[in-house]
Amino acid sequence: MTGHAPEHRLGIAPVAPPRATVVVVPPLFEEANRTRRTLVLAMRALAAGGFAALLPDLPGQNESLVPLAEVDLERWQDALAAVTRTTDGPVIVASVRGGALIDHRVNAAAWWRLAPVGGAALLRTLMRARVSADREAGIASSLDSLHAAAQTAPLLLAGNALSPAMIAGLGAAEAQPVEPLRSVALGEGGIAGTPLWLRAEPGEDAVMAQAIAADIAAWSRSCGIS
Amino acid sequence: MTDSAPETSGVDAALRALLADVLGLGADRAAALTDDSGLFGALPEFDSMAVATVLTEMEDRLDILIDDDEIDGEIFETYGNLLSFATRKVTG
Repeated sequence: MTGHAPEHRLGIAPVAPPRATVVVVPPLFEEANRTRRTLVLAMRALAAGGFAALLPDLPGQNESLVPLAEVDLERWQDALAAVTRTTDGPVIVASVRGGALIDHRVNAAAWWRLAPVGGAALLRTLMRARVSADREAGIASSLDSLHAAAQTAPLLLAGNALSPAMIAGLGAAEAQPVEPLRSVALGEGGIAGTPLWLRAEPGEDAVMAQAIAADIAAWSRSCGIS
Repeated sequence: MTDSAPETSGVDAALRALLADVLGLGADRAAALTDDSGLFGALPEFDSMAVATVLTEMEDRLDILIDDDEIDGEIFETYGNLLSFATRKVTG
């Protein structure tokens, strides 16, 4: 990479050698904060079930020393691919929401995606938050004026300084096809719970965390991993 | 989901569920919202990020497109204002 220290990763190991390693790719930006606590509870449940669980910091996020304005989706995809390069045993990718936009370059035995979302919808929400905040501050902005400004310089969206490359990439990003994939939604036939990633105030849901861990473990078994 | 667009009562139910999800209201507080219930400026959780999230989720769940120009502060003043905006968009 470019001379920066390796990113932190939160790892929860099982007592015995792991059946497989689950790499959790969280939702992007603010949605990551809203879901982190529940995802870590799911990681604990996975570890109790014999999996190693890994939650890597993306460059520019959390404890990373990389300025967010320097990164884009490509860099995040490469960083995730590098996380598991030295992992022993099979890797399962478990991504949530916008995490599904950056999970496909990992060398994995299986993918699991919860409520994957297109990048355009995420970007629209971030842009709208800026327009709404601007309106409160008596500044007239619009999605068009923000898109124009984002062509040439980083744009501050809900506290995130996003580079022109990040904004262009996000606006066009769709989850890429991977095999084998289980894509789950909330509700019947999927995960019982509420969309914590939408919540204005971060919450947690221990029951949902257990359901996430159980669903990933079942998918691992049906892929013949363990 | 059905093939047809949600009817008016369906819009009301969808909107209450959406606000419960975004604001963490719980089903009871969401059900107790009246037309006069204040939203933006009245509920502390209802900040500019919540406004943005509500708009994008409305598009997704009600299968509508919301133009930037249609949005003004009044829409988010009360639940009644938001519901009549959503209903107008759905019924076209």
